[in-house]
Amino acid sequence: MSYKVSEEGNISTVHLDGEIDMDVTEKAKEIIMPLIEAKKEVHLNLKEVQYMDSSGISVLIESHQKATELGTKVILKDISKSVLKVIMMAKLEQILNLG
Amino acid sequence: MSNLALISEQRDFAVSSSSLKDVRSFSREVFEKVNIEQDLKDELVLAIAEAAQNIVKHAYQNQETDDKMEIKISLQNGKLEIGFFDKGRPVDNKNVRHRKIDDVKPGGLGTFFIQQIMDAVVFKEGEKPWINHLILTKKINY
Repeated sequence: MSYKVSEEGNISTVHLDGEIDMDVTEKAKEIIMPLIEAKKEVHLNLKEVQYMDSSGISVLIESHQKATELGTKVILKDISKSVLKVIMMAKLEQILNLG
Repeated sequence: MSNLALISEQRDFAVSSSSLKDVRSFSREVFEKVNIEQDLKDELVLAIAEAAQNIVKHAYQNQETDDKMEIKISLQNGKLEIGFFDKGRPVDNKNVRHRKIDDVKPGGLGTFFIQQIMDAVVFKEGEKPWINHLILTKKINY
């Protein structure tokens, strides 16, 4: 997994790239959580994520819950077909913010 | 490809989260040989990777080990059988359950995905030298 972060005002956009599994979830959280803790609105661009497993979905849930707790939000952008399928399999399309 | 086509391939992997990409590569290589839809291939790869992840997380509780796990993918007469063998902590079948899907929290989704994708999930005591033997099966048309 690789990533790129861009900032515009209070919005931080994290472009994730590659495969997100248990092996990279800690790294993903290290990137995303400090942005949420800084009360940024975080946009996760998932266009280039070709694979995500239950560990990756857990990062999305944790991020969403942390943001809600801190009064900000995480919005999932440009979700790739394969990631959307896993989100729907987990029945999370109504829970997470899909932008 | 004939309905009687036979595939039987197995490989050993280190019990580590860093092996999961190799598990996926192996699974993709095997399913490349089968004439089924890409969506189904992707689902099967996910189920296999989730089961391997469960071995790392639960049978070995994320502890470092020199042990290997073995994955065997067999297809015959439209029945896909995927076997997982490990030497970790014995799995108690009663404790293998996914969380309630309405209870939104991180974790517990891997088993749910496996059960969504596969027709049957069976835990057996492994024959020596193995401790656990998980069998995932699914009927597929190809």
